[in-house]
Amino acid sequence: MKNEIAEANVSWLAVIIMLFGLLLLASYSNELLKQKVIGPGSSADLGFAADCRADELEEEQLSLEECQLMVSNVRIILISSPQWYRSYQLMLSSLGIAATLFSLVTAFGLINRQSPALRLTIVSTALLLIIDVAGFVAAVNIGPLLRAQYLWPLLLWICIHLCMLVAVIRFGQQSKMDN
Amino acid sequence: MSETRNPVEPERENLPRLVVLLHWLLAASVFFLFVSSWWMLSLPLPSAEFTYRELPFQLHKNIGITLFIAVITMASMRVRALLREASSPQDWLQRLAVVDHILLYILLTICCLSGYMSSSYSGWSTTLWWLVDIPSMTAENDDLNILFSDVHLWSCWALLGLLLLHIGGAIYHGIGNDGAIDKMFRLR
Repeated sequence: MKNEIAEANVSWLAVIIMLFGLLLLASYSNELLKQKVIGPGSSADLGFAADCRADELEEEQLSLEECQLMVSNVRIILISSPQWYRSYQLMLSSLGIAATLFSLVTAFGLINRQSPALRLTIVSTALLLIIDVAGFVAAVNIGPLLRAQYLWPLLLWICIHLCMLVAVIRFGQQSKMDN
Repeated sequence: MSETRNPVEPERENLPRLVVLLHWLLAASVFFLFVSSWWMLSLPLPSAEFTYRELPFQLHKNIGITLFIAVITMASMRVRALLREASSPQDWLQRLAVVDHILLYILLTICCLSGYMSSSYSGWSTTLWWLVDIPSMTAENDDLNILFSDVHLWSCWALLGLLLLHIGGAIYHGIGNDGAIDKMFRLR
């Protein structure tokens, strides 16, 4: 009975790692894309006015105000970001993608009952947690308009990875006791 | 770790390695396409000065076209097994799973095709992975662009709903430890 419960935890854990891993991979990849696209010296930074043609507005189902605010939205990102923030985010997102891919591989290892998988899952989840905290600390030090967009999702990710880390550690302890 | 299985559930057959790999590739691509499309539509409308949308839209189309090829490949490999499952006696949960899988393939195909048609009618060119020019099948037409854009939007929302059902099913099987999850992780 005890063994059945232990194995159920592995499948359950692997599904959770894959689900949150894929969501996080999408999130980090999008952040990388965001930092690549919105850079200093681009048209919004140079003060160009929004180009809001009537046909485009109709096609996108936008009001004129919304169209103009889209440029302001980019300006918020640029003005709220300190000089170091863009390169920091590019580095952190790349690290995040690598750590997430590592955690996805460990999920495969767990299901295939490969012996170091549990220890590697602890390492990958701890890595993800550290990257979340590094992102959170950086977000605390940016302008309030941008900070408001980042802090809450980052706090959610910290909680998710903390839960996963505790679950993997606890499961490892149970496994040792069973053996 | 123990090798004990739930004795009530039958042992399931392994899936071909390509199907397993395509499943996870599709999952990663679909999540990225949702996240990035929500974000890229908040970027300034395109003009000579504002080119913020250029890279995200090209990437979106590249991944979409690649996804279409992956979906067709995967569906052609799985169609026989799905039809066999659909014709065998099942409880309501198994029937729901088969319907969910079939609808996922259909909706993924509709999402990809409607996206391509919308892009084609918009007059914007597509270069697959910045290497191969994909010819526009149609002349520019705003009304048809809006129509296919709506089909793309609503089929994607429906896809998201089905994906949540699919994820719910995965968690259900994970907790039940019935072997259904294991076959999605086996590359042998």
